[in-house]
Amino acid sequence: MKGYHDIGGDKAGVIPKEELPWLYWEKKVEAIRNLLGDGTRRIIALDEMRRGFESFGQDKYDNLSFYRRRLEAMIDILIEKEIITQAELDAAIGEKKRVWASELKNSSKI
Amino acid sequence: MKRRFDIGDNVCVRSIDKPGHVRIPFYIRGKLGTILQYCGRYLNPEDLAVGKTSGPGVDLYRVEFVQNTLWDQPDNQPQDKLVIEIYDHWLTQTNTLVKSRAEV
Repeated sequence: MKGYHDIGGDKAGVIPKEELPWLYWEKKVEAIRNLLGDGTRRIIALDEMRRGFESFGQDKYDNLSFYRRRLEAMIDILIEKEIITQAELDAAIGEKKRVWASELKNSSKI
Repeated sequence: MKRRFDIGDNVCVRSIDKPGHVRIPFYIRGKLGTILQYCGRYLNPEDLAVGKTSGPGVDLYRVEFVQNTLWDQPDNQPQDKLVIEIYDHWLTQTNTLVKSRAEV
């Protein structure tokens, strides 16, 4: 069966030909992917990450950008392999949000 | 181990309905092409996709296809080619010569 990601040759309508900026967080996602997949770690292979977003289901896949797909697939696989837990991830995100909120508050005082 | 294909060999891409992550898009399956270049031996991406990072490498080839044998696009010229990398286990030998639509 043809996967939803396998769109080569499909009718696509008009293709927007604009250069999109490569955002800082997107570069970080790619840097982390390189570290997870390098020869010394081999935690997530490139094809393993692709398998991740190719099994998202079409709705999720279509609604995410290129780098969000990669990010979400890496998270899924890290949890699947029990390298991190969902609780650890949620705690880390919560902690960062608190730090950012207090930095924002401090900077507005200056 | 001896390679199955040499530069210039005519090949056909296998049309296997294999589940999981594969690198061979549907538009190229069952199509006839010509071996252009040998790329080396790499771990099978279908195994890497499920976390299997050991085992023998698989030969990877760069294969050339005539564009107008792939698409129903009258604008494609007979000399327009598509080059794609395909792993050994997706290729079969064929004696059928690849002809562009203009030559048929």
